[in-house]
Amino acid sequence: MGWSSRDLRSLGVGLAYLAPSLLLFAAFVFIPLAQTFYLSFFNTRATGAITTFAGLDHYIELLTSQAFRTGLQATAIFALYTVPVGIALGLVLAVLLNQRLRGINVFRTMMSSTIAISAAVGALIWLLLFNPSLGLLDYMLSRVGVNGPDWLIQPTTAIIAVSITTIWLTLGTNIIVLLSGLQGVPEEIYEAARLDGARGLRMFTRITIPMVSPSLFFLLVVDTVAVLQAFTQIHVMTRGGPVDATRVLVYSIYQDAFQNFQFGFASAQAVILFLLVMGLTIIQFRFVERRVHYQ
Amino acid sequence: MRGLATLALAFTVVAAACGGAAPGGGTDSSALAPAKDVAPAATITWWHAMSGVNGDALNKIVTGFNGSQSKIKVEAIFQGNYDDLLAKLNTAIASNAAPALVQVYDIGQRYMYDSQQVVPMQAFIDRDKFNTSDFEPSVINYYKYQDKLQSMPFNASTPMLYFNKDAFKEVGLDATKPPVTFTEIADAAKKLTKKDASGQTVRYGFGPSIYGWLFEQLLATSGQLYADNGNGRDNRATKVVYSNAAGKAILDWWKAGVDGGYFYNPGIDNDGAANAFNAQKTAMYIESTARLRGHITTIAGKWELGTGLYPRPDSKPKEGGNIIGGASLYIMKSRPPAEQQAAWEFVKYAMTAAVQGQWQSDTGYYPIVKAAYDTAPSKDWSTKYPQFLTAINEIRDSPQNRFTNGAVLGVMPQARQRTQKMIESVLLGQATSQAALDAAATDMNAAIDKYNKANP
Amino acid sequence: MKALSTFAKYALLLIGSIIVAFPLLVALSYSLMSESEIATFPPPVLPAQPTLDNYAAVFSTIPIVRYLINSFVVSSAVVAGQLVTASLAAYAFSFLVFRGRQVLFFLFLSTLMIPWEATIIPNYMTIRTIGWLDTYQGLAVPFMATAFGTFLLRQGFMQIPRELWDAARIDGASTFRFLISTVIPLSRPALATVAIYGFLSTYNQYFWPLLITNQTLMRTTQVGIAQLRFEETLRWGLVMAGVIMVAVPTLALLVLGQRQLIRGLTAGAVKG
Repeated sequence: MGWSSRDLRSLGVGLAYLAPSLLLFAAFVFIPLAQTFYLSFFNTRATGAITTFAGLDHYIELLTSQAFRTGLQATAIFALYTVPVGIALGLVLAVLLNQRLRGINVFRTMMSSTIAISAAVGALIWLLLFNPSLGLLDYMLSRVGVNGPDWLIQPTTAIIAVSITTIWLTLGTNIIVLLSGLQGVPEEIYEAARLDGARGLRMFTRITIPMVSPSLFFLLVVDTVAVLQAFTQIHVMTRGGPVDATRVLVYSIYQDAFQNFQFGFASAQAVILFLLVMGLTIIQFRFVERRVHYQ
Repeated sequence: MRGLATLALAFTVVAAACGGAAPGGGTDSSALAPAKDVAPAATITWWHAMSGVNGDALNKIVTGFNGSQSKIKVEAIFQGNYDDLLAKLNTAIASNAAPALVQVYDIGQRYMYDSQQVVPMQAFIDRDKFNTSDFEPSVINYYKYQDKLQSMPFNASTPMLYFNKDAFKEVGLDATKPPVTFTEIADAAKKLTKKDASGQTVRYGFGPSIYGWLFEQLLATSGQLYADNGNGRDNRATKVVYSNAAGKAILDWWKAGVDGGYFYNPGIDNDGAANAFNAQKTAMYIESTARLRGHITTIAGKWELGTGLYPRPDSKPKEGGNIIGGASLYIMKSRPPAEQQAAWEFVKYAMTAAVQGQWQSDTGYYPIVKAAYDTAPSKDWSTKYPQFLTAINEIRDSPQNRFTNGAVLGVMPQARQRTQKMIESVLLGQATSQAALDAAATDMNAAIDKYNKANP
Repeated sequence: MKALSTFAKYALLLIGSIIVAFPLLVALSYSLMSESEIATFPPPVLPAQPTLDNYAAVFSTIPIVRYLINSFVVSSAVVAGQLVTASLAAYAFSFLVFRGRQVLFFLFLSTLMIPWEATIIPNYMTIRTIGWLDTYQGLAVPFMATAFGTFLLRQGFMQIPRELWDAARIDGASTFRFLISTVIPLSRPALATVAIYGFLSTYNQYFWPLLITNQTLMRTTQVGIAQLRFEETLRWGLVMAGVIMVAVPTLALLVLGQRQLIRGLTAGAVKG
């Protein structure tokens, strides 16, 4: 498999277009990552200075520890709770918003407004809503005769509460991406389908979903990646608790790096999380992108 | 293009540089302070974590200092909350960008010491024969390691009992004699708990948040150590020692209250616990004295607020008492001597009675120097908020010993997280008190061991 | 029948909007309440006596206008940079054919997967070394390349009919010319999405601006919000007033951006 001069020329053209991005990534992502990788084989002082060579110690400690397994489990649950629901909800609302109605912009703005809220602020508002004694959520539930749970006190409901917050935070992006996908579907396709007698749900599954599948696939990849990196809402709402129920990997990296100042150990976790997400994304491209319909 | 290449190169150089050994040297020699005749720098930077009202009060001190003389200008910079600030400081230390003066929270003490980046405050005190005899002993003792003051206490607080006097009167409890012991609290809480017709609890007797600091304080009022080697003050701690009868008694008491339905569990959310108390969903809770002012403002006279001593075991151990919390000021070694000198000048100014009295009245923190209580702002404050007298007495009456000095651990933030998890697992019924204590101790001992090895 | 279905649509839209925007509406409502009103039970939904005190307090506590300006400058710069770098890269990943394309695309995507904790300290050191602490370029440049945006645009570009490309080649248009004259104009919705997303994610950054700025004058909005959160006593009304003040400009941007979103393809531009 040699490289012909034509291969090289086309690669050169491609690289010219990629160069601005690649240079920035090199400086601000890849070189730092390399350093993290390097650091994961060492013990460090609290200040981050390297003390002794640790070899694979951090990795071995991680892979054999109960805490890491719990963290992995919490991460998986969190992703499963948020990504599918977030995308499905985004799609339903985007279809609802993709209509030519007077004043539709007002509704579009309201529904996508969550994109304008930072995770820190959004989480703070939800913390207030979930508060069992003062929160509006349980109060409103009690008005309709439901005894609301102690959202953030019980492990099972805490992860649900954090998931709801996360879905809400990503909903704005999901709606906008899907809306822009829907806007890209030419009207003629719907008309043709209508002439063929397609209506309602059938139209939705046969026409709409395939036509926005590039956007759906995009969100699947990006939302999965984002959720595996979700940090702020957990920091604000649960700090990884109760009893580690929401201590997802990225949160334990934060704790070990910036609260416990164990940079070597934290770096090893960062490397593992990176490999994990990378693997997952490759799987998504291998098995899901095949079903995506590009025009 | 070239810029980016240079940038990448520059980065590699820095990466290599910061991979090197940490600057060495001990920190406990008073020779470390610059010579007395070094002229102070014209400007220094001070990093702090005080936001809102406290931030305004802090800026007032800085403005006062800058106006009081013409040689030194202090620039105060807010750097996020305590955790953010420490993370930023750590980053700055690695690239030699730390400021001359920093405010670091109580539990960052051992980290600051081990970073070997600090000129101990004692070095300046010894050099200038600065008189600290009027300093509040409980406050100053917290920041000593091997009897040398590492940093200057700045904002100091302790936890105390907050209670709703109206609720006390309503159920026939004596509002002038708030409960103190575990049993008294539990009994009062049972009486104060109120249910509606449908059996829903509308008011709980007592509602402490799951906060590691509160557990540390309960151990101290029980007259117990948190860690070995005199709470890590005589020598570096090698293990935690709370897995004993006293630790179990605390957890059992807490658990019985929650299970019995007369303690409310707001989880780890301190603000939520305060809210519940404000909204009269709980009739008593324990929190920092620094919250007093906020409570009075929020309650706005709708009901009467009382304060009492922090809870302790029924035997009321004489050697037990409260530990000071808050933050202190560190002078950084990496800055030039002239800047250290300027920082020290500012610290001395901040410790004057007049400044301290104003600081107390602006924020609700304890004055560090006792003479501050005689200043007008402080007197006005105590008249306005008589509830604060409880706090003063509490700290004055605490005996000074290793229990009440509090623990210093390099892994203190982690230790606090771990005790929170321990309390959660007991309250949720996932583990017995003893099993939870043992599990926490095992984890923490491993963490301490690891830390000590990494920071020789 | 038609009127009924229109009515049903509006009803659905209204209910959905209220549910989604509920937390934000609560924030708005709380920002108009006094602290003691917020701390009552049952929890109030609307302020009994609306007050602007909290907004006044925001102005007196932090230099909010300056923070807003800084955030706007930095976010706009990031958007401009991202649109250029991402358009170029997405074009290479969709229209150009070359060996190693797949590998390079994954290399791009991999940047999304690196935990922020792993890069933030080295990046701080880089910025410090080149003297960009306390500068707009220090706040903006590290974020001017975007895998998210590149990926999003690639998905959009791949929707453009290949016939257009073939036709352009036959006409002798250069590769770059085709990008400028055909691909970019056809991809307005996707570009608008990238711009909105890039703007808001920069606007909402907290830790990076905190880390690399030391002057109040260079600080951004989220650092300002943090300044409103008191260590000892959280004043909900004040924080929520800050949140609303920071969110209003971005919501306005959202409204404007949406026009772009809609204008893109409905004009019927794509008819290969």
